[in-house]
Amino acid sequence: MAKERFFHKLIRWTRSHPWLKLIALILAIMVWFYIRDEINRFNF
Amino acid sequence: MDNLTINFFELAAQGWRPAVEILILWSVIYHILLFLEGTRAIQVLRGVIVLVISFFLFQRLGFMTLDWLLTKLFGISVIAILIIFQPELRQGLARLGQRNLFGTVMKEEEIEAMLQQIFTACEALCREKQGALIVIENKNTLNEYIENGVMVDGRVSAELIEAVFTPKNPLHDGGMIIQHGRIAAAACLFPLTQNQTLSRIFGTRHRAALGLSEETDAVVIVVSEERQDMSLVYGSKLHKDLNREELISRIQEILKAKNG
Repeated sequence: MAKERFFHKLIRWTRSHPWLKLIALILAIMVWFYIRDEINRFNF
Repeated sequence: MDNLTINFFELAAQGWRPAVEILILWSVIYHILLFLEGTRAIQVLRGVIVLVISFFLFQRLGFMTLDWLLTKLFGISVIAILIIFQPELRQGLARLGQRNLFGTVMKEEEIEAMLQQIFTACEALCREKQGALIVIENKNTLNEYIENGVMVDGRVSAELIEAVFTPKNPLHDGGMIIQHGRIAAAACLFPLTQNQTLSRIFGTRHRAALGLSEETDAVVIVVSEERQDMSLVYGSKLHKDLNREELISRIQEILKAKNG
């Protein structure tokens, strides 16, 4: 029952705003790499 | 491209910390996008996202001139973004102090209980030959309409709805907005539809309901004092001659789609 509920919630989560989630993930990865490069460049 | 491959190997070598950082960044960016979705700012934001992706690609592919140009553009764009997003930033900061910023999803039982209260009130208003205009917020925010009304912030109850729409009540003119399962405001003003094909039997209340549904995805319930019936307005369409059960099931479907 708990497993079914978990999968139901997971399916609902993936169906709600899937494009927004994908764009947010791409932006998050880009921002992380950009900031890490900036940190490495100035060697903080 | 080689740079990117090396970056991903480095990322894997650094263990779990980068993954957690990216997950947190993802959550923050997703909630910002979710907050802006349904507002006019999202169109501007789409342009900004395209520019950010282009900037990233130019940098990775070594296009020095375009990279330089976009770097300079981002420098001045900070001020431009502050001006363009000023209303959204103001609303966002105001919402930070409120509950439900991250927990706006209502349970199915809560939606049903809320609708039962609304339609109990609507039926009573029909019997008493009184009109009502009740708006339930969907994906698009109704904050700009809430701000022009009178704040209520009360639990949805049949008695409160009936009290608001009693003719001598100062709040009975205009519409009531329900946001996150609470009555956010009453006496709110909505734009009237410019639809010329709408029958003349429909008055200002129906025209305001249609006008709002043309601009947002809100669910609007209209109680007509002349015909003593209830109508549902959603997606620029007016659905009339529906009974209580049909109205409840239709609204439940619309709100379920919102919650995913």
